[in-house]
Amino acid sequence: MTHDTNEIAPLAHHGGTGAMIRLAVINLLLSIATLSIWRFWGKTKVRQALWSNTTAWDDPLEYTGTGKELFLGFVIILIGVYVPLVLLFNTANALIAEESPLGGLLMVLLYVVTIFLIAAGSFRARRYQLSRTVWRGIRGGQGGSAWAYAWRSLAVWALVPLTLGWIWPWGDMMLARYRLNHTTFGNTSFTCEAGLTGLYKRFTLLWVGWMGLFAAGGALAFAMAAAVMAAGTGGDWADIYFVVSILMFILVVPVIVISLAWYRAGFYQRLAEGTALGGVRFRLETGAWGLMRLGIGNGFLVALSLGVLRPWAALRMWRFACDAIRLDGVPDFAAIRQAVEEGPTLGEGLSSVLDSAGEY
Amino acid sequence: MVSDRDRPGRFNDGRSAASRTVVVRVTAAGLEIFGIDGFKVAVWCTEDLLPDGEMPDGKGVRLRCAAEPDARLTVEDAFFIRRDLPKAVLARPGTRSLNLRLLASMLAGVVILVGLYVSLPVLARWVVPLVSVEMERDWGRQIAAGLEANARICRNPSGLNAVKSLTDRLAAHLPPGRQAVNVHVLDEKMVNALALPGGEIIVFRGLIDAMEGPDELAGVLAHELTHIGERHVTAALIRGVGVGVLATLITGDASGLVASGVTALMAASYTRSDEEAADRGAVLLLRQARIDNAGLATFFLRLERMEKDGFGLPAWMGTHPEAKIRAARIKAEADPVTLAPALREKQWNAVKDICRPLSSAPSIPM
Repeated sequence: MTHDTNEIAPLAHHGGTGAMIRLAVINLLLSIATLSIWRFWGKTKVRQALWSNTTAWDDPLEYTGTGKELFLGFVIILIGVYVPLVLLFNTANALIAEESPLGGLLMVLLYVVTIFLIAAGSFRARRYQLSRTVWRGIRGGQGGSAWAYAWRSLAVWALVPLTLGWIWPWGDMMLARYRLNHTTFGNTSFTCEAGLTGLYKRFTLLWVGWMGLFAAGGALAFAMAAAVMAAGTGGDWADIYFVVSILMFILVVPVIVISLAWYRAGFYQRLAEGTALGGVRFRLETGAWGLMRLGIGNGFLVALSLGVLRPWAALRMWRFACDAIRLDGVPDFAAIRQAVEEGPTLGEGLSSVLDSAGEY
Repeated sequence: MVSDRDRPGRFNDGRSAASRTVVVRVTAAGLEIFGIDGFKVAVWCTEDLLPDGEMPDGKGVRLRCAAEPDARLTVEDAFFIRRDLPKAVLARPGTRSLNLRLLASMLAGVVILVGLYVSLPVLARWVVPLVSVEMERDWGRQIAAGLEANARICRNPSGLNAVKSLTDRLAAHLPPGRQAVNVHVLDEKMVNALALPGGEIIVFRGLIDAMEGPDELAGVLAHELTHIGERHVTAALIRGVGVGVLATLITGDASGLVASGVTALMAASYTRSDEEAADRGAVLLLRQARIDNAGLATFFLRLERMEKDGFGLPAWMGTHPEAKIRAARIKAEADPVTLAPALREKQWNAVKDICRPLSSAPSIPM
């Protein structure tokens, strides 16, 4: 592939790992001392550290959100959405216990509503974070409608099992396009016309490979079960079964992780290449390997620390993104004006109650 | 033109995202900002100046102006800015006082949370009158149906009739409107009985197996009937919901609570004062129904003995601790006269057989 010689890497991250770990530990201690009320302010401090250590064309980002906004957003959603939802779930449970057909219907409806709210909540969280992001004094923003986004998400998620997963690359890209096309910097909108060129090739390989793996695993399990049946009961067989299962697991997991990272890398590359600000195109300088290291590392960091080191994982992600993002020129920043809209007044309550989207 | 007090910098006017190379001049009144073409771009008064931290790469200090909140100024020469700017600007208001206020409000938050938790019983008692009796009955019937769906129901008609007549005799002295009570007997070896909201009582076969006479059954029923009459169950369920809401507020995780549903509510337990009230009420109901209250005291002590004999703590005991004290309290109220047993012998035998299958052939004991 050849790329424009004007290509630049304007982003840099200057945050230190030690400082971020210290912040994570202090947040943990303060959360314990305050029965966890601190978490909203702690999250804000982590974001301030992530944003303010990121520079674009040598000017730093600013995060202007406050802990108070996050806290109030959470309390409002807790009382206005969550408590009614719990009462309805309990009613549905009681109806099911009574063997009333209404119970099942209500339960299905409630699950759909909950998933819908999770999707809408993640979009609203993004709106909040972008509206609290400032660069060179100019605010970011997220236009579009959270409900429209949630409907689209719901449709994609419902179609995934029906199409055996084949809707996923298209649906995922469609949702990403919706987010990016409604992402603004000042009065200027990002544009995203990312297509699926070649992505379905990767997906087909992934799909066929995974199906092959599952079929092989199933056949092996079946063969072993048959062998055990034929040989009669014996303790040795159980041990062998166990060892073979472990071996299969050790073989299968890396294949799944590597292939998934390869597919995701393709996805993000296409997404970046389809995105532009003020006519200047983006590109992502990354391959499957880098993405895989990031994903596996962050997975272990978060899991082994029980979530305490999530800020470190977020820092790794930001560094990765700053290193990988390229632009084929400098947008005409003089043409980008401050937006009139100031963004939502309260924090990301919906997603902080129902999901942990945007959690760092 | 460039004097000793001129410093190179970058300026954003807050109206567009352009970055302009500027020269910053420190004057007595504040800062004057010039473009490289020599035009004056902005004047920032000292009293409006706000420090905005250092550049992350250490290459400069950032400043803001209260009068133009969206504008940003980066002065690349940090040392001179520190020397030249009034000290007051760089030590401007306080992160410290803000943190103190934040800490204080957080502490207040903790106090409120703990206070809410402690006062839940009182709050629940206030809320109970808002729940209509009809709603309570529906709720209780639903929970009973749920329990019955997961167990074998005992249907021996003469046994059930005996239990019903005993229950009605006791319930006749409950407040009007609360006297209609259904007793469900389930074939489980658990030594337990539960009162549900409204007017449902669940008795497990294990409890009846542990009894040696009808007065003991009457005592347990009178105790559970008082829970129903005084709406303790509804209060306990409301407390359960309250604890759930507080837990969500603290952990921020709603998923567990949504899933838990009725079962979590069932785990809601009575308060100590509820139990004492139920004992007092039981003694009263028994006296009004002219049944000897010694049965309840004897039963408390028997369950405690069962625990010591290694049967494990019977469930009914687990929710009703301090058997000795309570038995003594009941005995102090003992009737001076000897009363007839709560049920005739034939009725009591039918109760003991309440879970035997309806076919006359004796079943093999499990």
